[in-house]
Amino acid sequence: MAPQLLTAAPTLRSLLERRLVIVTGKGGTGKTSVAAALALAGAAHGRRVLVAEVGRDEHLSRLIAPGSPPVGYAGRELLPGLIAMRIDPYAALGEYLGIQLRVRSAVELVLRNRAFRQLMDASPGWRELITLGKVWHLEQMRDPRGAPRFDLLVVDAPATGHGIGFLDVPRVVVAAVRAGPLRRNAALVEEMIADHERTLLLPVALAEELPARETAELVAKVRGELRIALDRIVVNALVGRPFPPGLEDLDAALARLPAEARWPGLPSPRVVAACAAHLRARHDLNRVYLEEIARSTGLPVVPLPYLPTGIRDAEDLRRLAAPLLAVAEAA
Amino acid sequence: MSALPRDPTALVLHKRIVACVGSGGVGKTTLAAALGLEAARKGRRALVITIDPARRLADALGIGALGNEPKAISAQRLAALGVSGGGALFAMMLDIKRSFDDLVERFAESPEARERILKNQIYQHVSDALAGSAEYSAMEKVFELSERPEYDLIVVDTPPSQHALDFLEAPQRLLDFLDSRLVQLLLHPAFAAGRVGFRLFQRSAQRVLQLLERVSGFAFLEEISEFLLAFEGMSEGFRERARRVRALLLGAQSAFVLAASPSAEGIQHAAQLLARLEAAGVPLAGVIVNRVRTWPGAGEPPARIAEGAEEAAALDALERALAASSGAGYPAHEAARAALAAIRTYASLVRSDTQAIAPLRASALARGLFFCRVPELSHDVHDLEGVARIASALVRAPAEVGLV
Repeated sequence: MAPQLLTAAPTLRSLLERRLVIVTGKGGTGKTSVAAALALAGAAHGRRVLVAEVGRDEHLSRLIAPGSPPVGYAGRELLPGLIAMRIDPYAALGEYLGIQLRVRSAVELVLRNRAFRQLMDASPGWRELITLGKVWHLEQMRDPRGAPRFDLLVVDAPATGHGIGFLDVPRVVVAAVRAGPLRRNAALVEEMIADHERTLLLPVALAEELPARETAELVAKVRGELRIALDRIVVNALVGRPFPPGLEDLDAALARLPAEARWPGLPSPRVVAACAAHLRARHDLNRVYLEEIARSTGLPVVPLPYLPTGIRDAEDLRRLAAPLLAVAEAA
Repeated sequence: MSALPRDPTALVLHKRIVACVGSGGVGKTTLAAALGLEAARKGRRALVITIDPARRLADALGIGALGNEPKAISAQRLAALGVSGGGALFAMMLDIKRSFDDLVERFAESPEARERILKNQIYQHVSDALAGSAEYSAMEKVFELSERPEYDLIVVDTPPSQHALDFLEAPQRLLDFLDSRLVQLLLHPAFAAGRVGFRLFQRSAQRVLQLLERVSGFAFLEEISEFLLAFEGMSEGFRERARRVRALLLGAQSAFVLAASPSAEGIQHAAQLLARLEAAGVPLAGVIVNRVRTWPGAGEPPARIAEGAEEAAALDALERALAASSGAGYPAHEAARAALAAIRTYASLVRSDTQAIAPLRASALARGLFFCRVPELSHDVHDLEGVARIASALVRAPAEVGLV
């Protein structure tokens, strides 16, 4: 689709060589589909993959296995080598307290306490911290032979108005809390996030005006404040060329047709020209903003095609997986 | 007027507050600006408030940087877009941190308490994340502005939030938190111990605190309790204010509009939100689906586009027409085929949007809400003229209304 973009960074590592890929992006960018496609690609390449989504409703597991019951916090192997889960902050908190306090009854006492629930409901930041703490815990898991339990962890980060505030919480806690176990744990999480060897932030954008600008802002913020690795931007839902080569100006030619003409089985010339103009305009805008994203971020851009039908099943996700990994293969 | 408006024009004509809700990326800010402009065209003095940090509204309205105070769009520019006779448009961008500081300044019981809050480590790091504070300060500001006589209508672009009702629920959550016995114990161990019926609770709460201390560390609890102590004095004024903000938003002068994008995912999110808004008793007036691919002219694409036996004749006619209008050298044969493919592609895109939208449309109409689709424009909206095009499209698009 855009060869100059694919070869922009010959040293790009494959996404599958990372331990932890955090997929981020605003609502509507198809971030969840990208996370699911990456998880599928990992499993197809023989990696042991865990894909986790964060939030109240489950979307990701349903993309991979439509119609299957929710995977929940316990998680479930949806395909060979691919486990999906939803990180629920309260479930993660219970698990964390269990590890810290070692007494199940004490954990129950804390979690069932109404005042404690009110305290937690109103407190900021802990959901993010505990979610990332759970990711750290999963990343640390080892199999009986001592090898990492998961080769690849894909996290579908929450779509929020605050962009990557999610990833900033451990740093804030380390800065705000002077001592104690909370600080120690937050420091471990922060270390994992900042480890360029293990961890990658994968932003998903659309080639439209607002998402393009937000992507530039996100990259600036990551470079300025967060120490997380960032090596490419996924630009999703790019429409293909509207007309075949040699017919780039088809919309103009159709606009010149006599307005009063009528053809068998076809709409009026005005409608025919409008359809072509619409496809052309959408494609041209896409190109403008795709280039703007590449220019403003200075990062290689991974273009993914627009799927007119949306994601219906794992097969559709696989159609995204190949171009998603294409940058590394081109390298 | 307390009856629900039947279309966007009635909405901006008869309400004092219009809140646009919806997931991120649906074009809420642009729709809010378009509703504001439509109100101005109808002779009202409208203020559009955004919380969008991407400065989209400021850019779209072409008025440079927006601040925490309303800024007027020049009458001259508005006149060019059909605003006359008394109509006016103002815009502002909410500075969340600043608004929350304002709140602290207003309700802190003493200058010392105010300083304690503003200088507290926890507050400094989290005030912009403080459970729903963004949402709450937005609504707080709306309340403040609604008491001013300069504006007939305030259109609010609500924060994109996963739990889109945070702005309604946040104050109560904050108050529950301050009221909770655990917090009371944290704040006033000696005082709380004197309360009737407290003993039983105390034992478990103290145990909870001890456990928390083990998990989080003393320094953290100390910082939190200092923050809460300073905050606690605000509780009374805050409570009264929160009650009035809620009453304003849920009252007869206000209406909510749900904005959605036409993708399957966008429609699913909007349907979930619709159910939650309804459960919360929000005065929802209508649903606007933005950037819908529509068939040129009107209606739906024809079911069959030069199918079967008609195809050869259609291609032939198209080829001859193209050869005649574009000259001898033009590859009319290939162009006719490409044109037919383009028509079919676009028709299938229109059909897929219609299909995706159908469930949301049905549930909006079943609830007696208005339902409109704003067609996708061939250019992005990044100036006031673009906002005006959206406003015109919004008014032109026939609003359907459910009968209940």
